[in-house]
Amino acid sequence: MGFTSQDDLITQLTVNGKGDTVVTTKTLAAAQLAGTWTLLAGHAGYPVAATFASGADLTYAPTDDTWSEGTIYTGGDVSTATKHFLSAGAAVVAAAGAPWYIMAIDLVGYVNLGAYTAGNVTSTGTKTITMTALGSGAGKGDRYPNGQGLRMFVAADTALGANAPTCIVNYKNTGGVSKATTTFTSTASMPVGALLNTGAAANKYNPFLPLAAGDTGVSDIESLVWAGTAHASGTVIIGLCKPLWIVPVPATGLYNKVDFVNALPSMRKIPDGANIQFLLFQTGATTSAGTVNVDFDYAYGG
Amino acid sequence: MGFRNVSEYAAADEAGQVWVTGFRKAVASAATTTNAWIDYTYFSGSPPANFYASTPAKAAVIESDKGLRVPSVSPATQHVKNIMLMSAAASATSATNGRQQVCLADYLLYYPFIDTDAIGEEQTLDNTVTLPRYADKGGQVVAVAQSAASALGQFTFNYTNQDGVSGRVSQNNFTYIVAGGGQVVGASGAGASYNPFCYLQSGDTGVRSIESVTFSAAGGGLMCLVIVKPLLKTVVTQECRRTTTGNLESYGACNELSSIIHQAGAPRIQDGAVLGLFASGYAGSLASSVLSGVIETVWN
Repeated sequence: MGFTSQDDLITQLTVNGKGDTVVTTKTLAAAQLAGTWTLLAGHAGYPVAATFASGADLTYAPTDDTWSEGTIYTGGDVSTATKHFLSAGAAVVAAAGAPWYIMAIDLVGYVNLGAYTAGNVTSTGTKTITMTALGSGAGKGDRYPNGQGLRMFVAADTALGANAPTCIVNYKNTGGVSKATTTFTSTASMPVGALLNTGAAANKYNPFLPLAAGDTGVSDIESLVWAGTAHASGTVIIGLCKPLWIVPVPATGLYNKVDFVNALPSMRKIPDGANIQFLLFQTGATTSAGTVNVDFDYAYGG
Repeated sequence: MGFRNVSEYAAADEAGQVWVTGFRKAVASAATTTNAWIDYTYFSGSPPANFYASTPAKAAVIESDKGLRVPSVSPATQHVKNIMLMSAAASATSATNGRQQVCLADYLLYYPFIDTDAIGEEQTLDNTVTLPRYADKGGQVVAVAQSAASALGQFTFNYTNQDGVSGRVSQNNFTYIVAGGGQVVGASGAGASYNPFCYLQSGDTGVRSIESVTFSAAGGGLMCLVIVKPLLKTVVTQECRRTTTGNLESYGACNELSSIIHQAGAPRIQDGAVLGLFASGYAGSLASSVLSGVIETVWN
């Protein structure tokens, strides 16, 4: 359970020590594109830059808070208690790119394309994905039962080459029914971390792929279909995540703090196994070596 | 069905019955008028620009890709959960895009390319296409410039009101001089009292369709009459920028409006809604500024 009252929350924090603060920082490895969203996992800092080394293309790789490539420790498992965010803050220092939005996500898993098998990004057509559908919540991998609330994006794992193909992702919804996202158009030469489905143009979706009408989540990723002219080079991932919260950052050097205790509804749950990562939206083109600092507080009761 | 209590509101969030989408609209370089309104949908970015480019004087619905992307959720009902707005200044020294009043609306129907120079001529509008939503209530009318305008125009329009009564005649509305398309040209008084919505016949609260427009003074341009359903109003308080000389100070603020907390209820979004924003800048021209935001919706 969570907290029975504000008094209980204060007791859990100040008497029982059931909470902590996390501070993270990421430095952009390359300049980003105006109007796009960027997955910060692949950029250096704390945690370390992830390379999404699943070992195989087109195979779903679940991730959790033991992910070796760089995740944030939030106190480990606390079941049967539940863990919750209390507040979050963020700042960006960069010569250009403001204003920014920083979104925390729980990266449940991902699929490599092009990292291990040539042609999965540099050729068009259907790329069939191997994934065991998420179940009803028996383990950390399916910490969101049947994929409830999960969203997808496609991110550059390494910088992309020329051309801008269209793309669609086929998936199963929370009821196990096969569906397809809305088609998006990629962008040529996107930098590492950039979300291909985002940007300031037609057929862009910021930051997640629209699901079919009525769908509330994703339990299985079935395939990705490229059409048009394929990217000349590069590798991508399909990310499967749960959106958690957003902190706006108006200008370089300004720090913004968001309170989740007194907002409504809030104190988003951090399920056991959560792999917390961040997406960055940049209104302008954020400069290379721009630094993103994020912190948050959490607590658990029970 | 909506929400019966806060618990259901929170549960819907946990159940994934939420959608979040970001947007970024870059106002064109033509100067806008202080205190007057602009139509952000007209400008480039994400969603792409909505130029109201279709057959002149013929009613048309706005393409769905020109609106902020929200899902269709019927038989559930969808509501605005949260909206955040920040406005990037046109330059490191520009302070003219702060203090905006912003309206989120469902863009329903439009009548493009109305000639504001056709004095004394009743321009009949084609209503083959009808309101796609709010058909029983109608909406407010926004006059959006589709070109620069060189003079102070005056017009009235005949319309069918919220109750389905036809033959209604609007009050006298003004247009005024603007430097480019996308600026809301509706005004009252002597043409310098800038309104987001055109004045209707006394007692009316909405418009289901517009049958004709008549100008009595030339406006020197082209305009589009757009029927919208306003959903909420919020503000942008301060422009976001960083000086490049002197003390290198950073300015800016994010304005967030959360349903339930900051206003009673949560505005409903109908399936198929084409959501857009229009705003007035009280600090000066909004030219070349960029509005970026995030909107979250929730359904049950």
